[in-house]
Amino acid sequence: MRIEKCWFCSSSIYPGHGIQFVRNDAKIFRFCRSKCHKNFKMKRNPRKVKWTKAYRRVHGKDMTQDSTFELERKRNRPERYDRNVAENTLKAIKKIDKVRVAREARHHAQRMKGNKVSEMKAAVKELEQSIHMVKAPIALKEDPSLTLPKLKVKVSSQHKQRIKWKNETLSLSLSLTLSLSPQPPTSSFLEHQRRVDTGPA
Amino acid sequence: MQQQVRGFIQMRTNLKVVDNSGAKRVMCIQAMKGRKGARLGDTIIASVKEAQPRGKVKKGDVVYGVVVRAAMQRGRCDGSEIKFDDNAVVLVNKQGEPIGTRVFGPVPHELRRKKHVKILTLAEHIA
Repeated sequence: MRIEKCWFCSSSIYPGHGIQFVRNDAKIFRFCRSKCHKNFKMKRNPRKVKWTKAYRRVHGKDMTQDSTFELERKRNRPERYDRNVAENTLKAIKKIDKVRVAREARHHAQRMKGNKVSEMKAAVKELEQSIHMVKAPIALKEDPSLTLPKLKVKVSSQHKQRIKWKNETLSLSLSLTLSLSPQPPTSSFLEHQRRVDTGPA
Repeated sequence: MQQQVRGFIQMRTNLKVVDNSGAKRVMCIQAMKGRKGARLGDTIIASVKEAQPRGKVKKGDVVYGVVVRAAMQRGRCDGSEIKFDDNAVVLVNKQGEPIGTRVFGPVPHELRRKKHVKILTLAEHIA
């Protein structure tokens, strides 16, 4: 049993998966799933298809040269089974994987390093140039702070009188119902009563 | 884009001959086993349609052949599938021994199971 690599996307092909295509010149193409197989039939070049490992390696998105890759080479000589060797190999595989993942993470961090600085620069520029989208330039002149203006609604004195009168009538009707009803008033009821009595000043 | 669906090798299927028995193209008359047709590794009875001038077989001969390459995928016992680029056959006699002395192109190791060991020894590449 051997875990092969997909010719198109370079992912591992486990037993029971995929299709092997043998060309007449005896070159064998292995595919992990029909997506890769169909792309191959369409004659697409994996180095130009963005989601494949081949593209990522060619365009420097993933690391290409590392000593951990040497250890994954294909070995064609069958080894005699030795329990200790098998145990050590399994342990080594785990360790190598850990090291490789750490190195790939480092490579990615290195690649993304200049991002924060450029992002800050772009943000500052946007603030200078596009603040008129957020706040009108005239308003900006009056109040030069960069916060959005607070909304102030002016209420006329006549309107205030009307609100007071409405509250008073409401409290009168409530007291009447309270005296007539047998049930004791609930707390929310009392709270409302209290609020209505004080009313807006 | 619709891909071509490859099927069984049945009556009137044209196959390429990949040995040096003299025939070039062969048309299947009968698949020995299988109701729907022959697949990779099966034997067929065929009629020679095109032959080289000086060869062991002539045009119009009825011969037996073993399918060594089929465009239809065949499942392997490990669960994967294998398929080839074209349909190709090696001419054999009634006992299953190849008429020619050379076999061109890759052959699958399904032939070992079917006891066509001679063809495997002659092959230049086993897929």
